[in-house]
Amino acid sequence: MRPTDFVRTLLAFIILVVLHYTLRPLLGWRAGPDFLVIATLLVAIRVRPGAAALIGLCVGLVADSVDIHAFGAGALAMTAIAFTASWLKAVFFADDVLLNALFFFLGKWAFDIIYVLAGARADAGQMAVQLFVWSPLTAAVTAIFGLVTLLILRPILRASPS
Amino acid sequence: MPPAARAFGRRDTVLFVSCLVLAFAAIQLPDRIRDPLASTLRQTILAPLVAIQSDAEQSRRSWLTRETREAQRDSIALRAMSLDAALSENDRLRKILGLGSSLKWGFVPAEVLQGRGVGEEYTITLSAGSRAGIRPFSPVVAPEGLVGMVKSVDPTMSIAIAWAHPDFRVSAMAVDDAVFGIVGAHLGGEPERYLLEMRGVPMRSNLKPGTLIVSSGLGGTFPRGIPVGTIIAEMKTSELWARTYLLRPAVAPADVSDVMVLLPARTTSGVQTVWKIGLKADSAVKSIVAAGDSLARLTRHDSTAAPDSIPKHDSIPKRDSIPKRDSSARAPRVTP
Repeated sequence: MRPTDFVRTLLAFIILVVLHYTLRPLLGWRAGPDFLVIATLLVAIRVRPGAAALIGLCVGLVADSVDIHAFGAGALAMTAIAFTASWLKAVFFADDVLLNALFFFLGKWAFDIIYVLAGARADAGQMAVQLFVWSPLTAAVTAIFGLVTLLILRPILRASPS
Repeated sequence: MPPAARAFGRRDTVLFVSCLVLAFAAIQLPDRIRDPLASTLRQTILAPLVAIQSDAEQSRRSWLTRETREAQRDSIALRAMSLDAALSENDRLRKILGLGSSLKWGFVPAEVLQGRGVGEEYTITLSAGSRAGIRPFSPVVAPEGLVGMVKSVDPTMSIAIAWAHPDFRVSAMAVDDAVFGIVGAHLGGEPERYLLEMRGVPMRSNLKPGTLIVSSGLGGTFPRGIPVGTIIAEMKTSELWARTYLLRPAVAPADVSDVMVLLPARTTSGVQTVWKIGLKADSAVKSIVAAGDSLARLTRHDSTAAPDSIPKHDSIPKRDSIPKRDSSARAPRVTP
């Protein structure tokens, strides 16, 4: 990654992280967008899978620090989806809107599945409701916001000509 | 367009597995290690983010509760407005009670009925009439001073003219200087229309701004000692033999809601002790009335009686000595 691309990606990442802690609480939705997942996925597709896994681990640990009862679950989920996204980036990022939306949707849903299962804090019924009702809904919202984010941050995220 | 896919190497696999192991290890961390670690992360990397999240949530709460807060603020404002009116009315009623206890007898409390339509700017309708003992020309007073005079009386209500009425007149005097005059409405344009004039003040008398003017009791309609107003300034008029002063009225008719109507017996007996300001005026009035009487007697005697009877009058007591001095002065010249 070129230094200019690195700076651009870092800027987009910071913007998305800030949005996660500002816009999300402002919206206050039960199924709100997860900008951390969007940020991690956007960074992951621009780095090697190993680096993506490391970034996912760090982001997950920082996010888990406010939820100490599931500490590590977010790190595990974020590591997994970051690595997978980096591995599958050629498939998903074909500059197709629907594919990108599906990418964000699956990424968020996968994150929730791993997070809930790894945390294992609720009974089976609650987990089922969470995984098959709220998580898809949240993933859909995240996908929509991810697409909007891609459109808005397109000037930043566009790779510089080689 | 994102960059093309890179090769998936052994190093990536190692990193990925290491991260997974670390994540699992984090999940399995005992509390004594996990809590300080999470706390450190919260206090370092996450601290600014948590701060802005707190601000964002506060903003959201403010936004969600804005209508409730506006309703509460409106309710409080409404209550505050009512409270001010209640306090003002309470204060006024206390003053009325105080005036009633000072008057003790010979008065009728009355409520000023609202009805300030066209032509009613200078008259007030009172809720008491002849059945309560009110008669025409009864003085209408408030705790602050003179309000006006009853003009017409019905059995259950009466009409009074306020001091702002063009026909209103009251004989008045300055408390401090015993200067007399006639007080009436100032018939100038707005906003001075709601001021008073004190006319007919002798040229030798100069009243200072702030001097309290009270009813003099002359004429019999208004008892002595009711505050009428305070001197604002002298007015420039074409009269060369008397001064005219502008007065700020003691009572604003628009603010009056409850008044006392003095009955004839009370008017006759006086109200000097009610407003506690008529004591000096009383003596001044007596001296002036006595002077007027003696001058009148002197005039009568001058026109009818012989010169040798003049020394009998109190008003010119020194006339006895004048002839003696003259006679003694002339005596040496007569003797030879």
